[in-house]
Amino acid sequence: MLKVSCPNCGAEVSFRSPALPSRVCDYCQTILVRSGGGIEAMGKAAVLPFDVSPVMMGMRGTFDNKSFEVIGRVRWGWTDGSWNEWLLLFNDGSAAWLGEAMGQFMLTRERAIGELTDPAIRKLIDGEEVPVGTEIGLDGELLIVSDAREVTCLAAEGELPFSAPAGWTVFSVDFRSTSGRCASLQRESGTTSFYDGRYVTLDELAPGGMRAMEGWALPAYAR
Amino acid sequence: MLAEMASEPGPDTVAAAPPAAAAASTRALSCPACGGAIEVRAAGYTVTIVCRYCSSVIDVANPEARLITKYEEAVQELEIPLGARGTLRGVEWEVIGYLRRSEHGSYGWEEYLLFNPYYGYRWVITNGRGWSFGEMLTRAPDWGVGGPALDGQSYNPFFSNGQAQVDYVLGEFYWRVKVGEEVATDDYVRPGWMLSREANESEISWTLSALLDPAEMEGAFGIIAPRDAWPPLPHQPSPYARPLKAAAKIGAIAALLLIVLAFAFGGSTLLYDNNLPVTFDGQTRTQTLGPITVTRPWQMVAIRADAGNIDNAWVDLDYTLVDRATQETYESYGLAEHYSGSDSDGPWEEGSRDTTAKVAMVPAGTYDLVVEYSGNLWTSSSYSYGGGGYGGDVRISVSQGLVFPSNVIIALVLLLLPLLFLFLRHIRFEKARQGESDVGATGLAGAFSGSDDDDDSGTDFSDMFSTADD
Repeated sequence: MLKVSCPNCGAEVSFRSPALPSRVCDYCQTILVRSGGGIEAMGKAAVLPFDVSPVMMGMRGTFDNKSFEVIGRVRWGWTDGSWNEWLLLFNDGSAAWLGEAMGQFMLTRERAIGELTDPAIRKLIDGEEVPVGTEIGLDGELLIVSDAREVTCLAAEGELPFSAPAGWTVFSVDFRSTSGRCASLQRESGTTSFYDGRYVTLDELAPGGMRAMEGWALPAYAR
Repeated sequence: MLAEMASEPGPDTVAAAPPAAAAASTRALSCPACGGAIEVRAAGYTVTIVCRYCSSVIDVANPEARLITKYEEAVQELEIPLGARGTLRGVEWEVIGYLRRSEHGSYGWEEYLLFNPYYGYRWVITNGRGWSFGEMLTRAPDWGVGGPALDGQSYNPFFSNGQAQVDYVLGEFYWRVKVGEEVATDDYVRPGWMLSREANESEISWTLSALLDPAEMEGAFGIIAPRDAWPPLPHQPSPYARPLKAAAKIGAIAALLLIVLAFAFGGSTLLYDNNLPVTFDGQTRTQTLGPITVTRPWQMVAIRADAGNIDNAWVDLDYTLVDRATQETYESYGLAEHYSGSDSDGPWEEGSRDTTAKVAMVPAGTYDLVVEYSGNLWTSSSYSYGGGGYGGDVRISVSQGLVFPSNVIIALVLLLLPLLFLFLRHIRFEKARQGESDVGATGLAGAFSGSDDDDDSGTDFSDMFSTADD
């Protein structure tokens, strides 16, 4: 844990992991990046648009018998909508993303690009495109390309593995299986990341510290 | 490299969340066309809103609302108004959108989009004859025998190769909904459930819908829900299926029991047999046969008389069973006869040479059988006692426990009658339910339909029990 003062507003900000070198100041929304021994301010993050997500910073839960806490979020947009990617930090130090779209949730973890052998995925990594509907094999399971489009970062908060300035655009490909498995690939100027996981329900995450919303009772599954 | 954060994120690392006042749950908006105040109820998810005042289509995918299509149309009144809340299956839902859809203008149905921020989206769907509660799946079913299977349950094809279009839209949606947009549809059913597939060029989605009890919709949204739909809904369970199953089980057990009892207590045993010499002279003779011993507390005793090959003659037989111990008597009689001849229609014959008399409820004991009998000859012109010669022997055999087969059959019919009634009602229901199906009648209804599935003439045997409901 590194605790420093925000170079912009002076408020105390913390960095929990070198793997998460970027964060947005909770008070002045300045994007801060760890570099060497110091902290660099990278301009202001955009204001998060209002939404009714039941997840919020600090929400805790359990997945695969490990507890986690929500420590960051990126809001992505595309021509026909937008969604949240919440960053989960687990008690073993690992991180995962909880994607939230259309009222449904996907929990994915980053995988090393080197271990992906499927030819369509290799094509995507090499900068080519593949049509929607293309089949890929992942650990012996069949997935298909369900979507491929440019997405733009709208806003961000908390701690993140990368700095996410508003307007940052990446090429994103989604994969789905019939069993509820899902994966996504994100590519930006020669750098590719791959995330693999499955659909989850909030219920099965046994969440605590969910966001309370006016006029709605917290669900029975909330702790 | 992650060693620095080995400790579990605990309260010491994060400021404890203040017991914050609940955040607002709607986003206020002015319609860019008419200026009307609109509440976005699923802010962050909603992409398109159709103004509840002027029907204009507004894009809210981006923070600034943008007018897509301007209308100045009065909106339709909905059976369940937008913003209404109701609790279904234990969760409170808010109505946020409404779609009216059809198959190119026919077979219209309505879909209300429900939302709860903690549970996401659901649908309530009606075709005017009943309501269903649908949830979009995050997985696809497996393909089983003749249809999809989900969680070990298989579904039968019902509607195939449909084209569903959107005819009318109101409220907010998580996609760019447009009047006229089309998807290819296929629907599969099992009793109480429908599994629907919708596909466009880029996406396939599966929705699982549960048939709602009318009382559930009435309790949730205060509407009047239709009951006793006729024809039934595609996924409506036959109300006769369960009673039919129960009746079949009970009927089978009862029939089995009846047959077992009939054999156990009715197995036939020969107790005695002997020959009586018969003379055709019209004189009554008396012969005492026996002893005959029966051991069960109660039984039926059958006395069979076989008159060999007599012709144009009859033998009258009067039986009296006399209990040697108590002198109690049980009476019966028999008639063995046979006639033949020839007339203008050719040769003829009638009568039965052997006859069985049954005495029911004979108690255990040792009996004598007293037979009073007389032999008679018949000629076409007159009775004749002449000739009076020896007419051969009548063989008398006494057996116990013979079942009255007619009684068993009547009992079986009585047992099976309600079963038949339920069965025919069930077939009729299933035929009506599958009347709209694209794959025709299947299962029992298929087995009992002719080639004219849609025939409603009422002549079909399964309409025998038609009631006023059709």
